[in-house]
Amino acid sequence: MLEAFTLATILCGFFAIIFKQNLVMKIFAMDVMSTGVIAYYVLIAAHGGLITPIIGNAKQNAAYADPVPQSVILTAIVIGFSIQALMLVGAMKLAQDHPTLDTREIEKGNAP
Amino acid sequence: MNTLTIAWIVLPFIAGFSIFLVPRLDRYLAIFATIGSAGYALQLIISRSPIALQLLDNFGVTLLIDSLSGYFILTNALVTAAVILYCWQSEKAAFFYGQLIILHGSLNAAFACTDFVSLYVALEVSGIAAALLIAYPRTDRSIWVALRYLFVSNVGMLFYLVGAVLVYKAHHSFTFAGLRGSPPEALALIFMGLLTKAGVFVSGSWLPLTHSESETPVSAMLSGIVVKAGVYPLVRCALILDEIDPIIRVFGVGTAVLGVSYAVFEKDTKRMLAFHTVSQLGFMLAAPEVSGFYALTHGLVKSALFMLAGALPSRNFKELQQQPIDRSLWIVLAIAGFSISGFPLLSGFGAKVLTMKNLLPWQEIAMNMVAVGTAISFAKFIFLPHQQGVDPKPIKLGFWLAIGLLLGGLVVANIVYFEAYDAENTIKAIAIIAAGWLAYAAIFRRTVIKLPQMFERFEDLIGVMTLVTILLFWATFV
Repeated sequence: MLEAFTLATILCGFFAIIFKQNLVMKIFAMDVMSTGVIAYYVLIAAHGGLITPIIGNAKQNAAYADPVPQSVILTAIVIGFSIQALMLVGAMKLAQDHPTLDTREIEKGNAP
Repeated sequence: MNTLTIAWIVLPFIAGFSIFLVPRLDRYLAIFATIGSAGYALQLIISRSPIALQLLDNFGVTLLIDSLSGYFILTNALVTAAVILYCWQSEKAAFFYGQLIILHGSLNAAFACTDFVSLYVALEVSGIAAALLIAYPRTDRSIWVALRYLFVSNVGMLFYLVGAVLVYKAHHSFTFAGLRGSPPEALALIFMGLLTKAGVFVSGSWLPLTHSESETPVSAMLSGIVVKAGVYPLVRCALILDEIDPIIRVFGVGTAVLGVSYAVFEKDTKRMLAFHTVSQLGFMLAAPEVSGFYALTHGLVKSALFMLAGALPSRNFKELQQQPIDRSLWIVLAIAGFSISGFPLLSGFGAKVLTMKNLLPWQEIAMNMVAVGTAISFAKFIFLPHQQGVDPKPIKLGFWLAIGLLLGGLVVANIVYFEAYDAENTIKAIAIIAAGWLAYAAIFRRTVIKLPQMFERFEDLIGVMTLVTILLFWATFV
């Protein structure tokens, strides 16, 4: 059930990237997509249990969450965030000459 | 040896960050890091003993470095060094060299790792650094091209991440070997991400615009080595898992045919070179065992060609046919063109023979056709009119040093596969080139067919990803 929701989030983001015209909306759509991916990792980590795997946190042999996907996705969150920031700076620069930020127009102006 | 490997991976990053701290030493630090990489790669190729490392614990980073990755690393070092020499006398800021060397370091990491997470990090870092280099002139067009590149590669990599976690779910590890026994959707998603990143087949339609609209040194870097960071993991997976090998080979042939059929009709120098890169990626994927040597020769010659195309007075072949170019420029252009068409004496010949030998029977006809197509495309460069003493643009010493390094590398690389020199191979190579030139003189010199710019709009680039995923899913399912 939850898995279906996260996959739906990924697809929503993906189709918004295609169908939204505005560049900033496209960038946000990519963020929605990466949120879906992050949620999917967290969900898979929680398959075995929900207790945080920290020493001294809980009793022996409890149902711990898997720490590996969580630590992996932490790296991906940082990378995604920096790419997001870089893209927004690019969009800001482009906005000076293309105030509407319509991708079709930007593309027409910059095609060879 | 293990310490040396770690030192080699860390060196470019340290050099990159030191450049930001001590901007005055930018070029020296950058060239020092590439010399380090080149030395390490040569030692790898000569010793032929693979190094396997597992850092940290069970879930840690795994590295595998053998002579295949040695060739990719050597290409990376030589191309980066040539780009630094090319820019030596220009007014580039320290920021440019810093990004260049960080790009170099992240590509090194991508050529060394054998698990999906380290690969993800390496590819994303290389994507960010490459986008910053593309946007370096800060014109509207360069910013848009960089944004488009970042967008396409990041969306591909998000799908890749979903595939990676599916592999983890099946095996509780992220290593490449875990692909065996993973569900087909994991394979389809991971490969879609890598194919997009590498610019293979229709998912590579972002490549021509990106490579042709960047500045000359950045184009050389992108076409010479950056796309190969996506090819290397595909090749590595094909070598680890026999089931995947036919899929990779099919994509190799498809992309070779697609790329070269656009290249023969293209009228713009840089776009032609970019389409030709797409077709050469196909050669690497078509014969995964020997892709390292092909990557080396292609990387050297393609970056030299991009630098030469930047020195020509125009980008349009029509205009170039009207006004003669300088004789010295033409000679190096012809050498590069001969190498990539597979003419004996240059290592492009050895690489082509080696690849053709490792093809499966069903691939051979298509790949020979592609070789003829390559000869046709480069006849456009070789038959340009030339004259002594025309000097429209003053050419800097750094340019000649860079070209000398790349073409010198091409001649020296002949020793890797000198067995190629026998009568049969030589005659075949000359016949292919002759056929290409005849076709050029008879048909392609005068044609004005302009193929439609298929799938190059932004929405199409993203939309094509769904098609490729469906195709891959179907291919893995059967």
